[in-house]
Amino acid sequence: MNETVLTLTNATIRFGGLVAVNNVSFSLQKGDLFGLIGPNGAGKTTCFNLITGVYRPTSGVIDFKGQNIGGLPPAKIATLGICRTFQNIRLFPALSVLENVVVGAFLRHTTSLASALCYLPPSIKETRALRQEAFELLEVMDLSDVASVRSADLPYGKQRRLEIARAMATQPELILLDEPAAGMNQKEKEDLQSTVRRIRDDFGKTVLLIEHDMRFVMGLCERIFVLDHGEEIAQGPPEAIRNDPKVIEAYLGEAV
Amino acid sequence: MKFWGVRLLSFVLAFGFVYGLDVVTQTAFPNLYRLAVLAGLYVTLAVSLNLINGITGQFSIGHAAFYMIGAYAAGFVSQHMYASQPLGPVLWLVVMMAVGAVFAAIAGIVVGLPSLRLRGDYLAIVTLGFGEIMRIVVQNVDPLGGAYGLNVKPFGEPPKILWLVWLLAVLCIAVCRNLLKTSHGLPFIAVREDEVASAAMGVKTSSVKVTAFVIGSAFAGAAGALLAHSETFISPDTFKMDVSFIILTMVVLGGTGSITGSIMAAVALFAIPEWLRTMQVMIPGSSIVAGILAVGIMVSGFRWVQNNYHESVSKRIGAYLACVVGAAVAAVVLSFVLAFIPQLAQQRLDVAMLRMVIFSMVLIILMLLRPQGVFAHHEFSWDWLSKVLRARKGVTA
Ligand SMILES: Nc1ncnc2c1ncn2[C@@H]1O[C@H](COP(=O)(O)OP(=O)(O)O)[C@@H](O)[C@H]1O
Ligand SMILES: [Mg+2]
Repeated sequence: MNETVLTLTNATIRFGGLVAVNNVSFSLQKGDLFGLIGPNGAGKTTCFNLITGVYRPTSGVIDFKGQNIGGLPPAKIATLGICRTFQNIRLFPALSVLENVVVGAFLRHTTSLASALCYLPPSIKETRALRQEAFELLEVMDLSDVASVRSADLPYGKQRRLEIARAMATQPELILLDEPAAGMNQKEKEDLQSTVRRIRDDFGKTVLLIEHDMRFVMGLCERIFVLDHGEEIAQGPPEAIRNDPKVIEAYLGEAV
Repeated sequence: MKFWGVRLLSFVLAFGFVYGLDVVTQTAFPNLYRLAVLAGLYVTLAVSLNLINGITGQFSIGHAAFYMIGAYAAGFVSQHMYASQPLGPVLWLVVMMAVGAVFAAIAGIVVGLPSLRLRGDYLAIVTLGFGEIMRIVVQNVDPLGGAYGLNVKPFGEPPKILWLVWLLAVLCIAVCRNLLKTSHGLPFIAVREDEVASAAMGVKTSSVKVTAFVIGSAFAGAAGALLAHSETFISPDTFKMDVSFIILTMVVLGGTGSITGSIMAAVALFAIPEWLRTMQVMIPGSSIVAGILAVGIMVSGFRWVQNNYHESVSKRIGAYLACVVGAAVAAVVLSFVLAFIPQLAQQRLDVAMLRMVIFSMVLIILMLLRPQGVFAHHEFSWDWLSKVLRARKGVTA
């Protein structure tokens, strides 16, 4: 039953003299809700960039379902089934909320560009189907009422949800969420927690998430990996992490 | 069934339009015929550059290069091969459009490849440089006529091809519009909006960019083929940098990304200087100075209205009208007053000579008042029109 989805083995990346991620190893099973935490600048986002192909690892292996994906182009990795959100929201501002999601779903298009340029029925049908599919996702993410709004005009919290909807539209096996709750109020955070749970329970996705808010991560994730200065300092279930002296030291003064 | 009915109807309308345009121009305005041909070519050029520049966001500013490559490729082939083949002139022209398109598309790939690595200003420099290099190369290749130019007279007389020119324009518009109507257009816009995010969503950004360059330059090449045959003479000077700039201006002024905007701006920017050229009116210098001052007053007034009247549409329109009337009064009064300065009053200038000055003033004014372009990112559609009309009615009611 336990099927390994993603395994990092000694993943390392250097930027000049700085080792942003140093010998990091962890493994995600299908259906995991896995948290990646650590102080600012610890290298969490860089880990995401390694997994999604933005950067090529200096050394180490990133294995996704038996294939080493380290250094593959990002678009290729997305088609293999890994999609992400961005810490510093990167939507397509001029596109509507619905169209943003269709860009994600477009990955699964089957008609040719030529058929679209001639406006032939198959591409029209496909367009309609993709929009319908995107709309259904918006309903799940509670965004269907703003479907035709320009995404740049959305309030911050909704932009974050839209990023998740767009990533979900690619129908990934593994979804990476980079600080999805940043800038949200308490109510929005609670809603987001249940949404993330639904993504795992109802949609059967494996979730890897970075989050700064300890309460949020501890209440949501079943396993947590703690990174500091690019290196692992702890890994395990929330209770163990909460009481780990190294983690407490890294978050000096903060209530863990 | 309805779908194919609408499609057939739009084909009939398109052919009817281009054929009607040709017939009406030939019979009623024969001296506008050549201008109508050039205007149609500019529509194709602007709309095809808009695909690269506006829709896909690749800041390419050397579009005249593709126009030139298409013109020379088709012109050269036509000159050497027309006599020894069985096709009639019209079919031959269609084949020549394909030849121009293919050669320009290959050049499009060559220029598109740097766009995979270069962004913004750097890509602009490369595309501009490419255009100049190609022009200088042609200038030094003797079989292409060198600096003197190339005569393209396969049929003897220049062919009457206004309808073919506008058919190409309609085709180019249709292709771009179809792209934006289907989900296939979204990756193009996504690349413009955020390349990193589009790649993360599985968009093959490299192939999207190269595709935009290929389609855009192919249309420019086909336009070049028609130019070569309708003008019957092309030289490297026909494709200088200012042609590239005027096409770019059309795209920006119309509203980057808007097909409608590119079409309107192409016709307007081509027509205004040509129309001014025919004006044989001498104006005293005092009136010209007065006119410039009055325009300045009007523009400042418009900007003041833009910044201060937000609430009611009717009030704003009233304020704009007041600005126009005020500027007109100022123009009359000022020209009367300035006429007392003998140096100004005695200096008489030809409007035709001033046309580029007027042209640049129009551009500056539009960019001051509407930096996002006349149409911004909007498109004309019947839905949009009915919405606007309904909104207007709502205001007056
Ligand atoms: N492209 C890059 N070039 C140089 N340094 C980088 C680059 N990307 C990230 N870093 C550095 O790597 C470290 C980790 O950054 P990051 O992964 O964004 O941290 P966080 O854990 O807050 O997400 C930081 O010191 C950052 O400055
Ligand atoms: Mg980060």
